[in-house]
Amino acid sequence: MSAVWKAARSAVRRRRLQTVVIALVVLLSTATMVIAMGLLDSASRPFDRAFDKQRGAHAVAAFDLDKVSADQVSATARRSGVEAHAGPFDQTSVSLAPGSVSFLPGPLTVVGRGEAGGSVDRVHVWNGRWATKPGEIVVNQTPPFSGGAPFPLGGKVVTPQGTKLTIVGYAYTMSRTADAWVTPEQMKALHPTARQMMYRFSSASTEADVAQGIGQATAGLPKGSLVATQSYLTIKKDVASGPGVYVPFLMVFGVLGVIVAVMIVANVISGAVVSGFRHIGVLKSLGFTPRQVVGVYLLMVSLPAVLGCALGAVGGVLATDPLLTSAFQGTGMDLSGVAVSWWVPVAALVGMPLLVVLAAALPALRAHRLSAAEAISAGSAPHRGRALWIQRRLGGSSLPRSVSLGLGLPFARPARTAMTLVAVLLGVTTATFATGLASTVNEFGKAGDHTSGAQLIVQPGQPQFGETAPKLDDPQTEKVLRSLKGTESVTVDVHVPVSITSSKKVVAEFWRGDTSARDFRDQIVKGHWIEGPGQVAASTAFLRDRGLQIGDRLTMEVGGKPARVTVVASLMSQRDLLYADWRALSALDVDVTKLNSRFQYLVQVSPGTNIAQYTDAVRAADPGLYARPNSDSSTFEASVISLSVVLTLMLVTVAGLGVFNTVVLNTRERRRDLATLQSLGMTPRQVIGMTVTSMAAVGAIGGVLGLPLGVLAHRAIMPIAGEAAKVDLPARMLDVWHAPVLLLLGLAGITIAVLGAFFPARSTTRMATAEALRSE
Amino acid sequence: MTSENSSERVVVRLDGVRKEYGQSVALDGVSMEIRTGEAVAVMGPSGCGKSTLLNMVAGLDRPTAGTINIHGDDLGGMNETGLALFRRRRIGMVFQFFNLLDDLTALDNVALAGQLTGTSARQARKRALELLDELGVADRRNDYPATLSGGQRQRVAVARALMNKPSLLLADEPTGALDRQSGEQVMNLLLDLNRIGQTLLVVTHDPRLAERCATRLVEFEDGRIAREKVLERTA
Ligand SMILES: Nc1ncnc2c1ncn2[C@@H]1O[C@H](COP(=O)(O)OP(=O)(O)O)[C@@H](O)[C@H]1O
Ligand SMILES: [Mg+2]
Repeated sequence: MSAVWKAARSAVRRRRLQTVVIALVVLLSTATMVIAMGLLDSASRPFDRAFDKQRGAHAVAAFDLDKVSADQVSATARRSGVEAHAGPFDQTSVSLAPGSVSFLPGPLTVVGRGEAGGSVDRVHVWNGRWATKPGEIVVNQTPPFSGGAPFPLGGKVVTPQGTKLTIVGYAYTMSRTADAWVTPEQMKALHPTARQMMYRFSSASTEADVAQGIGQATAGLPKGSLVATQSYLTIKKDVASGPGVYVPFLMVFGVLGVIVAVMIVANVISGAVVSGFRHIGVLKSLGFTPRQVVGVYLLMVSLPAVLGCALGAVGGVLATDPLLTSAFQGTGMDLSGVAVSWWVPVAALVGMPLLVVLAAALPALRAHRLSAAEAISAGSAPHRGRALWIQRRLGGSSLPRSVSLGLGLPFARPARTAMTLVAVLLGVTTATFATGLASTVNEFGKAGDHTSGAQLIVQPGQPQFGETAPKLDDPQTEKVLRSLKGTESVTVDVHVPVSITSSKKVVAEFWRGDTSARDFRDQIVKGHWIEGPGQVAASTAFLRDRGLQIGDRLTMEVGGKPARVTVVASLMSQRDLLYADWRALSALDVDVTKLNSRFQYLVQVSPGTNIAQYTDAVRAADPGLYARPNSDSSTFEASVISLSVVLTLMLVTVAGLGVFNTVVLNTRERRRDLATLQSLGMTPRQVIGMTVTSMAAVGAIGGVLGLPLGVLAHRAIMPIAGEAAKVDLPARMLDVWHAPVLLLLGLAGITIAVLGAFFPARSTTRMATAEALRSE
Repeated sequence: MTSENSSERVVVRLDGVRKEYGQSVALDGVSMEIRTGEAVAVMGPSGCGKSTLLNMVAGLDRPTAGTINIHGDDLGGMNETGLALFRRRRIGMVFQFFNLLDDLTALDNVALAGQLTGTSARQARKRALELLDELGVADRRNDYPATLSGGQRQRVAVARALMNKPSLLLADEPTGALDRQSGEQVMNLLLDLNRIGQTLLVVTHDPRLAERCATRLVEFEDGRIAREKVLERTA
């Protein structure tokens, strides 16, 4: 064994470039794979862990108070399939009257519950304590991440009937069972409208399991008594949808990386075997068994592969952690343990070297078969009829001889050429796909936020947070903002919780002012923007969740009169969003100033306006107006965009290195031929021209084939990513291909090949020709 | 043809040529002249600098010191491209291990040299075929080097060297890799070429080759010319 080790070590030393290329390629593809698998694996893990910790409810059911008694509801817990339960708890919806804290959006689903613990839905009280007596309320809120606004204890929630409840704690439920909790006694005073029951089932891994569990538990209850149910899988999907968007494309990156790595390793080894015929012969004549010879070659690639893999795994894990953290920021989940699972790097550490050795084994077996005599005499490479026929035809053509020789070279080693072609092709596919992806992700990030386009957001101060109360009312504020120097457009936006008949409640946004100045049009997947008070625009997530379509009519209600509206546009968003015209508020008979809703003024200033001076001017107009620059970009999107740029560069580098390596091998093998050509009077420029021509041809074909593959991959993957994120991507976001970009990408294949060919060719011509000719 | 040749035009002039490879000295102040029509044989023990001398003359390598003139052109004054163009026009080379291109037929190996000077493919193949015919390997024109015998390969290599009618034919141990009979044939070939006026510089280990082919014998030792003598050719 030590002889094999020694021979392998010296082989590695003699092939520094190839060794470095193998190590780098394996490093980059391992890192990519680890990132992709890490995200895939972790996308739902924080939820699972937090859910398990809280013993989250597999299903939450609401029963009609008038149709079933508490005993009947309790009896459902004893049905088969139900493993644990909590409840029944009384439940009601509480509207917020003036005097309530302003940060709560609107009608709260309040549940009467004696304790945070229990056997199901152990609510996590992260600030303050649980409600122990009437007059106290605990609010469901995700803990703020660093930089988020604080949530004060002691604030009031005032009901329309005048009941004052004091916030004594903030708690968080993974199962989303309530917006707030009070004691059961207090609940009685609030007039409950439904009974809540939570279940954990013995089997609940699929939607069907959950549905079956609910069915079994509630079988035999009076018809219509089950008002609503909610499965934990819906919440889980919702939580994972953030990072979920990016998993499909990361997988594509990873798979491309692995394929590129395998191609290159196979290429390197077959090159080493072919150019090492004499070396093999010498080893065999020294008494190495065929198996030992193969061992030498496998060891030769394993050394750099293992090193590259180890570094890649570490790098991948290090890159994944911050990504995961930013992906789950603000979901209220404990992020301290959100790390890549141990099996991801372990799988990479075992899998990648295995793959590398497999890729190396086939060409290495050639060394196994080669007889010592054959190898030592290093007979000329075997010839293939068609390749030689092409050479002959090219030799007779009127092309300059250096060009026709160059065009013939790829046919002399068809297998090597095929591998090079695939390397270039994948390089171009990767570059194309990644470029498209980066554009789409970028557009998506830009359009995903309706405040984009506005440079400033102005909000009235909130005295309960120590801010100054505004002097100006809403219309005055708009007027003042419009009068300021530099103002180009002002849009006013108020968030109002709206009930929708026979459907989930939603926080709708009512707009007025220069709505055309906002970027809404970028988000429209289908339909057209709102043109009147009878129309609404909804996010695709909103429509999907409610099974609605464009043209459908809804009935909205905000405590006053109901109003029928028509959905005229679907907007690309993962969030539950409904946009309406400001005038719809009067149709709904709502006095928005009486609601506990906060106004927001989105201001666009003319180019060249000094933002700091403008902000000062706003404060001078009314110290109670708080203006802040709109830097509302998601860190996760930003990191994914930069990650995709990094991955693109990485894979293009790897593909370039692969081609470079192939050309170096080809050129080395042909050292004597090139020297002979120089002795015949071929100029260095002709030699370089010939070598570059041979690879440019391969590069051109790789580019022409790789381009459509990249576009197809983009077309196929982006909708899958959209599906994972619960958004329909507007066609515009998939149409990121323009002629100049495509041309550039097509040229990329040739460029990679030509660059990979140029440098080794040039170094050949600089090498002492005489030296190369000496060799036998 | 004997020493009368010395009155004819000088083809090659070396003046104090020295070549060092790091610490070792391959050529140590070599001065010599070769005139049109001469056949100079260079002999000497292995490693004494014979191949180095040929490579210098062919412009494949540059001397550390000294000058090399071919047909009055100073090789030291030429760049790489200039040297390549010079080789194309003036020099033909034959090697011990043939150095044929494996991917080209015998015919195309020969024609290639012509095509490099701008001759059309048809013209080059026509002349290549004539040369192969003269050298007795025309029947193997469509075969690949791997399928030819050593002697046949070397004859193809000689044909290739002659393709552009070089003013100087360089041969580095042309019979070194051949069996006795093939060696004889190549020897006769070179002799015949010299007889019809081809200037020749041949490196050899084989005294018989020198005796039969050369008009002058130069013996090297440790990078220096140790002896020189004019030969009466035996054949
Ligand atoms: N490219 C080179 N690098 C280093 N040393 C060389 C090189 N070429 C030749 N030499 C050395 O120069 C000396 C002369 O070599 P060479 O001219 O090939 O001898 P020979 O007379 O056998 O043809 C030898 O010692 C050889 O080792
Ligand atoms: Mg020699």
